[in-house]
Amino acid sequence: MPTSLSPLPLATLKLTAQRLGAATALALLLAPAPLLAQDQPTEANQSSANSNAKESADSQNSQASEDVATTDTGGRKDSDRPSIPLVPENATWDSFHGQLNAQKYSPLDQITADNVGDLEKVWEFHTGDLSDGSGDIPASVWSATPVFANDTIYIGTPFYRLIALDPGTGKEKWSFDTQSSRKALTQPVLKNRGVSYWEAENPVAGEPCQKIVYMGTMDAQLFALDADTGKLCKGFADNGVLNVNQWNDTHAVWPLSVLQPPTVVGDHLMLGWAGMDWAYEQAPPGTIFSLNAQTGEREWTFQALSDEMRKKSGTANVWTHMSADRENGLLYLPVSSPSPNYWGGNRTEKAPLATSTTALDIETGKVVWSRQWVHHDLWDYDINSAPTLMDITVDGKQIPALVQATKQGFLFVVNRLTGEDVWPIEERPVPQGDGSVKGEVYAPTQPFPTKPAPLLDQSKKPKIWGLADAVGGGQCSRLWDDLTYEGMYTPPTTKGEGALSYPDSAGGVQWGGVAFDPQSQTAIVNTSHIVQTIKLYDREAYDKANSGSGNESGFAPQKGAPYGLRLEVANNWLGMPCWEPPFGELVALDMTTGDVKWRRPVGASQQYGFYMPEKWGSPTIGGPAVTAGGVIFIGASMDAKLRAYSLETGDELWSDQAQAPSVSNPAVYEYKGREYVAFVAGGNTILKDQVGDQVVVYALPED
Amino acid sequence: MFFGLMQYQRNAEAAAKCIKSLSSGDNNPMSQSRSFRAGIIVLLVGSLVGLAVSLYAYFAPLTGVNGTLGALAVILSTIALVVMTLVLAPLSCRSGRVVLRVLILLVLVGTGFAGLLLHQWWLTAAMVVGLIGLLLDMASPAASTTPAHS
Repeated sequence: MPTSLSPLPLATLKLTAQRLGAATALALLLAPAPLLAQDQPTEANQSSANSNAKESADSQNSQASEDVATTDTGGRKDSDRPSIPLVPENATWDSFHGQLNAQKYSPLDQITADNVGDLEKVWEFHTGDLSDGSGDIPASVWSATPVFANDTIYIGTPFYRLIALDPGTGKEKWSFDTQSSRKALTQPVLKNRGVSYWEAENPVAGEPCQKIVYMGTMDAQLFALDADTGKLCKGFADNGVLNVNQWNDTHAVWPLSVLQPPTVVGDHLMLGWAGMDWAYEQAPPGTIFSLNAQTGEREWTFQALSDEMRKKSGTANVWTHMSADRENGLLYLPVSSPSPNYWGGNRTEKAPLATSTTALDIETGKVVWSRQWVHHDLWDYDINSAPTLMDITVDGKQIPALVQATKQGFLFVVNRLTGEDVWPIEERPVPQGDGSVKGEVYAPTQPFPTKPAPLLDQSKKPKIWGLADAVGGGQCSRLWDDLTYEGMYTPPTTKGEGALSYPDSAGGVQWGGVAFDPQSQTAIVNTSHIVQTIKLYDREAYDKANSGSGNESGFAPQKGAPYGLRLEVANNWLGMPCWEPPFGELVALDMTTGDVKWRRPVGASQQYGFYMPEKWGSPTIGGPAVTAGGVIFIGASMDAKLRAYSLETGDELWSDQAQAPSVSNPAVYEYKGREYVAFVAGGNTILKDQVGDQVVVYALPED
Repeated sequence: MFFGLMQYQRNAEAAAKCIKSLSSGDNNPMSQSRSFRAGIIVLLVGSLVGLAVSLYAYFAPLTGVNGTLGALAVILSTIALVVMTLVLAPLSCRSGRVVLRVLILLVLVGTGFAGLLLHQWWLTAAMVVGLIGLLLDMASPAASTTPAHS
C-alpha cells in the first residue's frame, strides 16, 4: 500500500508531452502572425542644437508684478469691443487647445453624428520616443495636442524631438532632435505638451523663419525652428535656442522646465514654465515672460507673488496653456498655487493672484483683473487649464464670458472683460482645521459658484463603495473612520490617516479644460471623481514614514517646511476605489442657463487589463474637442479608447482602441477637402502605467 | 482519528489505482467510445482556441490588454486547461477524473469570466465551447470508472 503518490509513469509523461507539444504548436498557428506589426520608430536626422544659449538677459524687461487684484478695463466700454465670433469662419487647430480662445471647436461638418460610425483609421505614426521607466530613462508622459498649420502636423515628443508630418498620409517631412537631457529634473517623468506655431502677418519672400514652430524642454530651453525646413532660426535668441533658465534668479532649486509650449498671441510668445511640486518650501516664484516671436527678446515679465512673498515662498506659476482675446488685448492666465503646496505657514499674508484666473494686458503685462478661486491654497488646487472664452446669451443679453474649470469640479463663469460674475459666486465659510498644524492660518471663506452646479457633488463626504469595502475586508470603512473630514476644503492634518479630500489634485477637471460649441452655446467638459488622502508629518515622523513616491502620489518632503506629506488615492489593497462610482463623467451644459443638458459616465476603468463596467466610468486626463457636425471627440480614459459622442444626446457613437490613454485634446482639421481627427496616445502614469508613442488619425472613407 | 486514517487509506488506494491505470494499456484513446472522445476533443479545441486568443490578446498591439497581467493570466490558465485535458483523456479511474473535471470546470468558468472582463469575447466563447466538451465528456457512459476494452 503506497503511502504517497508515486511519479507518473514515463510512458504517460511522454504521451502527455507529445500532446502538449502538438497542442502548443496548433495554438501558435492559430495565433495571428503579425503580432509585432507596429510601425518602427523613426530616427532623428537633424543636427544637435546648441544648448549653451547666451546668458545675457534682455534689457527691455519691464516688471509687471502686482500685489493686488485690480479691475481696469482701460476706460473702454464693453459694447465698443468686437467680440469672439459666435461661430468661427475658419477651421483652425494651430495651438494646444485648437484656438486661442480655447474652445476646442471646429466648424467642420463633414463628419457628423450620423456618419461618425464610419470613421476609419487613415494613418498612424509611432515616434519611438517612449519609456515605461523600467530602465535608465524615466517614464514618458505625452500630453501633446497635434498642431495643424502650414499644411503640416507638428508634434513634440517626451524625448524632446520635434516632428513634422504630412497631414494626409502621416509621412515624416522632417524631424529635429534637441539633444535635451532625458533626466527627470523637475517632474518624476519625461513630459511634453507639444509645440506652438507662429507665422508672420507680412512674410518676407525668400527669408527663412517666416513661419516658426517652438518647443521647450525640461532643462529650460526653448527651441525655434523654421516650420518649412526644421532648421534652427538663427535670429531667435542664441541661434535658435533661448535659455529660459537665465531668468531663474530666485530660489533656483530646479530649472524652469518648459514642458508646455508658449502661447502665441500675435507676435508675442507668452511663456510659462513648470517646476517640481511638493518638494520645497522655497522654490522659483511664478513668472510669465512675453517674448518677441521672431527674436526671442523679452518684452515684459509678470510675477504672481509680491516681492516679500517671493523671498519666503515660490511658484504660483503658469504651467499649462493660456487663452487670449486679441480683439480686446487680454491674456488669461491659469495661475497655480504657491509653495509649499500643503502647508502655508510661510505665506500667511494674502496672495491674491495665486490659484487664480488673471487677465493681463497683452502689450504691457499689467493686471487688468484677477479672480482668486482658492484663498490660501493648502490643497494644490492649481488652476490647471486655460479658461475657455465664449460669447453667451444669458437672460437675453449677450455676455463676453469665460469659463474657468478647476480641480474641485467647479466652473466659474465671469465676464472676460471685467472679471465680474455672470452667475453669482458666493464666499462661504469653510473648515478651520483641527489645530494640529503649527503656524498655519486658514482662509475663513472660499468662493463657491451658484451656477453651473459643481460637476461632482463635493458638498458631502463621499459614500463608501460596498463592493470595494467587502473585497478589502472592511479596509475602506476603517480608512474612512481614520480620516478627518469636515466638508469641502478640510485642511491637511497630522492626525490619523490625514484629511479626506474630494476631489484633490488629481480630480475634477485637468488641463484638457472646457470645450464649447458656439452654435448651441453648449459647454462640454470631462471630470474625474477621485478621493485622495493628505497627511502631514513633522520632520522626525516624516523621515521614519517616508517610503517613496510615484507620479503625483506617495511621500513628498516639502523641504524647509516643518511638515512633509503623504498623498494617496483612497483605494483598497487591490487598487479598487473606496468611493462609489462613477469615477469619471462627460458633462454637457447649456451656457445660456447654466443647467446640465446631459451627463454620462465616460470610458471604462481598467486594472491589470480587466475592464470595469462602463457605467462606472473612468477617471480622465485630457479633454474633448467638438465640431459643427454635432460630434464630441475625446480620449482621456483609462481604457485607452478614443470615442465620439453625440453633442445632442451624449450617446456614444464610435470608438477605437489606442496604444495608451490619450491625455490631451484631439485635433480636428481639414486637408485637401477632407476632414480629419487626430489623437496622440501617449499615456500618463497618474492615470495608469501605460505609455505610448502613437499619433493616430481618422477620417471618413473616400468615395 | 481512526476514521480519518481509514479515509486516508481509501484515498491513497484510489490514487494508486489511478496511477496504475495511467501506466497500463487502458490509456489508449482508441479504447474510448466515440462520444467520450468527442467530448475531450471539443474540450481540447476550446482550450486551444482560448490559448490562441490569449496569446493574441497579450502580444498583438492595440488589443487593449496587450502586455497586461490579466492577459498573461489567461495564457497560463488556458495552458493549464490544455494540460488537464490531455491528462484527462487517458485517465480511467473515477476519482482522478472527478478531481480533474472539477478543476477544468473551475478554470473554464474563471477564464471565461476573465475573458469578459478583458473584453476578449472570443476567449469567453472558446470557454463555452470547452464547457460543452466537458459536459459531453461527463455525460458519456464510457467515462465510467471501468475502462473500455481494447
